[in-house]
Amino acid sequence: MIPMAEMVGITKEFPGIKANDNVSFSAYEGEIHALLGENGAGKSTLMSVLTGLYKPDAGSLKIQGKRTDLSSPKDAVNCGIGMVHQHFKLVQPFTVAENIMLSMKNLKQIYNRAEIEKQIVEQSEKFGLTIDPRAKVWQLSVGQQQRLEIVKLLLQGAKILILDEPTAVLTPQEAEALYTTLRRMAKNGRAIIIISHKMTEVMENADRITVLRDGKSIGTVRTQETNENELAKMMVGRDISEVIKKPVQKDGKEILSLREVSVFGINRAPLLKDISLEIHAGEILGVAGVDGNGQRELADVVAGMRVASEGKVMLLGQDCTRSGRKKRIQMGVGYVPEDRMTTGLVTNLNAYENVALKEYRNQPGPFISWKKIIQYSKSLIKKFDVRLASAQNPVKMMSGGNIQKLLLAREISSEPKLIIAVYPMRGLDIGAMNYVKQLLIEQSEKGRAVLLILEDLEDLFSMSDHIAVLHGGEIMGVVDPSETTREKIGLMMAGRREVDIHAS
Amino acid sequence: MKSMKRTILFAVCAELVFAGVLTGCGRDSSSSGNETKVAFVYIGPVGDYGYTYAQDQGRKYLQSHLKNVKTTFVENIPETADCERTFEQLVQKGNKIIFGTSYGYMDYMADVAKRYPNVVFMHGSGYKTSKNMGTYFDRDYQARYLTGMAAGKYTKTNVLGFIAPFGTPEVVRNIDAFTLGAQSVNPNVKVNVVWTNSWDDPPTEKTAANSLIDARADVLATHVDSPSFAQAAQSKKVLAIGHNADMQKYAPKSVLVSDLSNWGPYFVNVVKSVQDHTWKSSQYWGGIKDNNVIDISSFNSKLVDKDFQNVVMQKRQDIIDGKFDPFQGPVYDQSNKLKVQQGQNLTDAQLLSIDWFVKGVQGTIPKS
Amino acid sequence: MPLKIFGDWRLKKVEQASPLKTVVITLISICLGLLFSALLLLFTGNDPGEIYGDIVFASVGSAYGWSETLVEMTPLALCALGVSVAFRMKLWNIGAEGQFYMGAFGATFCALHFPNLSQWILLPLMFVAALICGGIWGLIPAIPKALWNVNETISTLLLNYIAISWVAYLVFGPWKDPSGNNFPLTAAFSNNASIPSIGGTRISYAIILVAVFAVVLFLLLRHSKWGYEIRVSGSSRKAAEYAGMNYVRNILVVLFISGAISGIAGMTEVSGVLHKLQQSISPGYGYTAIIIALLGRLNPLSIVLVSFLMGGLVVGGYDLQTLGFPSSISSMFQGAILFFVLAGELFCNYRLVRKEVQA
Repeated sequence: MIPMAEMVGITKEFPGIKANDNVSFSAYEGEIHALLGENGAGKSTLMSVLTGLYKPDAGSLKIQGKRTDLSSPKDAVNCGIGMVHQHFKLVQPFTVAENIMLSMKNLKQIYNRAEIEKQIVEQSEKFGLTIDPRAKVWQLSVGQQQRLEIVKLLLQGAKILILDEPTAVLTPQEAEALYTTLRRMAKNGRAIIIISHKMTEVMENADRITVLRDGKSIGTVRTQETNENELAKMMVGRDISEVIKKPVQKDGKEILSLREVSVFGINRAPLLKDISLEIHAGEILGVAGVDGNGQRELADVVAGMRVASEGKVMLLGQDCTRSGRKKRIQMGVGYVPEDRMTTGLVTNLNAYENVALKEYRNQPGPFISWKKIIQYSKSLIKKFDVRLASAQNPVKMMSGGNIQKLLLAREISSEPKLIIAVYPMRGLDIGAMNYVKQLLIEQSEKGRAVLLILEDLEDLFSMSDHIAVLHGGEIMGVVDPSETTREKIGLMMAGRREVDIHAS
Repeated sequence: MKSMKRTILFAVCAELVFAGVLTGCGRDSSSSGNETKVAFVYIGPVGDYGYTYAQDQGRKYLQSHLKNVKTTFVENIPETADCERTFEQLVQKGNKIIFGTSYGYMDYMADVAKRYPNVVFMHGSGYKTSKNMGTYFDRDYQARYLTGMAAGKYTKTNVLGFIAPFGTPEVVRNIDAFTLGAQSVNPNVKVNVVWTNSWDDPPTEKTAANSLIDARADVLATHVDSPSFAQAAQSKKVLAIGHNADMQKYAPKSVLVSDLSNWGPYFVNVVKSVQDHTWKSSQYWGGIKDNNVIDISSFNSKLVDKDFQNVVMQKRQDIIDGKFDPFQGPVYDQSNKLKVQQGQNLTDAQLLSIDWFVKGVQGTIPKS
Repeated sequence: MPLKIFGDWRLKKVEQASPLKTVVITLISICLGLLFSALLLLFTGNDPGEIYGDIVFASVGSAYGWSETLVEMTPLALCALGVSVAFRMKLWNIGAEGQFYMGAFGATFCALHFPNLSQWILLPLMFVAALICGGIWGLIPAIPKALWNVNETISTLLLNYIAISWVAYLVFGPWKDPSGNNFPLTAAFSNNASIPSIGGTRISYAIILVAVFAVVLFLLLRHSKWGYEIRVSGSSRKAAEYAGMNYVRNILVVLFISGAISGIAGMTEVSGVLHKLQQSISPGYGYTAIIIALLGRLNPLSIVLVSFLMGGLVVGGYDLQTLGFPSSISSMFQGAILFFVLAGELFCNYRLVRKEVQA
């Protein structure tokens, strides 16, 4: 059988780094092929070559057995290659049909909209992707938008579909539905390529797995013939330590307590509704939920960046509902925000100036002694092993992992009582991820309370003392990880209450 | 600190580059022989085809009629600190006579005149004089009266429009003379006045013209510096009176006649008197009889009939002969008070400080 | 995504330009500007050498030239310093012109109403009045910005027209000099209301303010907590709020200070140079200040230098006319140099690369 896409000996070099080094890869009709690797392993580069974005320095490309040179993304589309990016490329105010028309190859100047809409419905129903062609994109859920992206590719005649981290934004149930669809499309004569770093997911859904590490292909394996441990070894090049288990904490002093806190947005639409929860010293409270269900607002209310519309926020037994961010910092709230590049750090300032973000207030008088700040920063950089070329360079020139280390170093070293961490592992490679996990667990062992918002259920299970599940700004239930299952959490993330699950 | 150093370098280098060029060229500050250098400082551009244009025509006349004279001009000089510097720079370039054409230059010119007693300063339209600073202006009201006659004759609605810059005596005097001239041939005529608060603001002038036309004015006149109002008049098919220059070519279907300044002969006299050391500071105010310093252009023959042209030209002759003065009594003001008795005229001092409108003018002079 | 320039050539962003590269590029830019102008001058039959020489000679070639350049520089530098404070926080205050006029208004109010107060009281009074009036003019757009995030670029710009019209109303109406033949000027300030000049020049002692403000701002912005907050706030509002800074209060404070400094520039102009209020007190100082602030990269000390250069260009430009060159030459000259320097900025931050072409 001839592979639909075959890449042989692909090498792509960027100044200072070999992103792909003699990588070979092939995808066959009817298979779901996963591309697995840590961040920076070269997955995206390889797929960019396949979609015509980059021209490889060496190596060749065959599409359905024919040697092909792709000089632009347009060429790739013409060869039947399509990609769903992690961040959808959709025009929000347009309808589904209009978005699809934008990408149609030979749309006539005068077109028949009804005809196009009919095509969309036909194509999408063939694979069980129900979608209303007249709906505006901004009204669609994330899952629906992803479906739209897929339909778009199908209508372009894509035979090879590449999906970049397709389940990152989905509930477990939605993810399952997606894979059912993908499976059906594969059977229908297409090749599906999934870029992922989630091993469990890949193990469950892919037919074959190609592992990349440091720009090199480590090997391609059949899913049935491998296991997670082997894959992990291939990914990191060594045995990874056992999943970090968190020692169960005994109840400490109550640090944070929220009492029926609600936050309203524009038009009094509730962003958070009647949230009540407590975190004790030494406890890690994990928060699960699909992105955008109130996690950001919850973190902001606790951190003091947003005022609760109703209810009370108590810190160390003190009512601080109305007190602002400055007061909360003084009361000992450390915050590792989701958006570290624009909120947690000022990326065009250097490392010292970013450490000063918290430290400058501790100095007396109206002036800042930069000498002291620099000294303090140096000690942090050393202690937390932050690697930087020069502390004078703007932070944005540092790597993602080091940026997060710097941010954590600053927040942890200010001796907080409570640490809020929102998606602290997002975008980090396995090494950095483990470091962050370890660091947070250490903090709880030191008696600090941690509010941990994560998207990865595995990590939540392993780190948290309790897990609260958010859906639509409400808490569906607070559970003990040792007494629940992934499936139950998934149902709660989709909007079922804990009590209802037990009742059924 | 980095960007600081960078900019210092920027500065130093820029100066070095300049200086490098500088060494390549010598400075010729001395003028050859006994040539008299004369400079003119204009408020507007010489191409305004109005006030500044008329002054510059005079400069060109001077340049072509006196051999041992070298003239320069600077245009668009605002009535701010910049004009004082310009006077100063002109003195340093060896100019011996400096004409400044705008009222607002007065105090700055007086300051510079104090510092350079050997340079003669001539200020147009002002009133401050000193040993080496004189003033000059024209009896614009004489021509205004004559062009007013044409406006009065050819209005059908009996409403004339006047676009006025500022409420200074000069402008008030012109509006009055214009109205009196119009009334002399058409007693029912009214003159509407709109203020633009600028000597030169073509967009506002156009708007003003249109608003006057909307208020039924069918002949427009102005005391601002450019001919844009005449074009507005022509596009709305009403008549216009030119000012400062013959504006027929700007609006051939509208302009009946224009008033004109002819500064050339006067400038020649001033320069000659400075050269033979007979110049004395004075307040010069020339009329039609003084070498036509002020006069009217030829009539637009397509619009003004021959007989009426003769009527106006007869009046012009009477003014030259001293038989007639535009402000000859009786003259009534807007409140119908008799301001000039039968058989009397306004004195020069009264004319130079006039602050009332004659009967028939509709509008008020902005006062503090 | 690299910017396509021509054929295979692309512009690629580089993270940080080296200082040396920046200097070289700036130099080349200036030379190109001069060369470009020279070509145009040659084309129109002028001698570029003579013109360049004259500009330098007129601006820094004599004691008088120096003094006039400093006179011209004073309002430019003060307005540019004012503007730069707001720009530091990425508040695009382009209302320096209006703040300048309001400062002149405040100073004139005191000068006309208390002409006989002792100079030691009257001048500080005028200073405070100018500071407050200019500051309020900066504060007005700050309030809607702080409360509802109303775009300050537009509101500051529109307030310019109000301030200019307000001054026009005063000089045409209530403040017109009764003995001024109905010309729209106020009466001349009394000696007590005038900032004295240095020696026989037109430079007023206000030039000292330029130095004081530049140094104080330099120290504040670099070494004070407030300056640090401004820097952080200018980079990211979210980060400022995250660090517990009062972003809203900083908007108000910064725009007030920004307006106040431009207001003081207005006072130095009416009290130090014009000695009266009139309709046109500024040939666009407030707008030129924006360019100066940006060319000086918002560094107070660089701004003073750039203002000096700009002042020299203006003085030299007027002088060109007295040699018989058309007035438009100097504007063209300024425009060309600015254009090339700003275009050069692009190459400081980008690199021209050739896209790999297909085999």
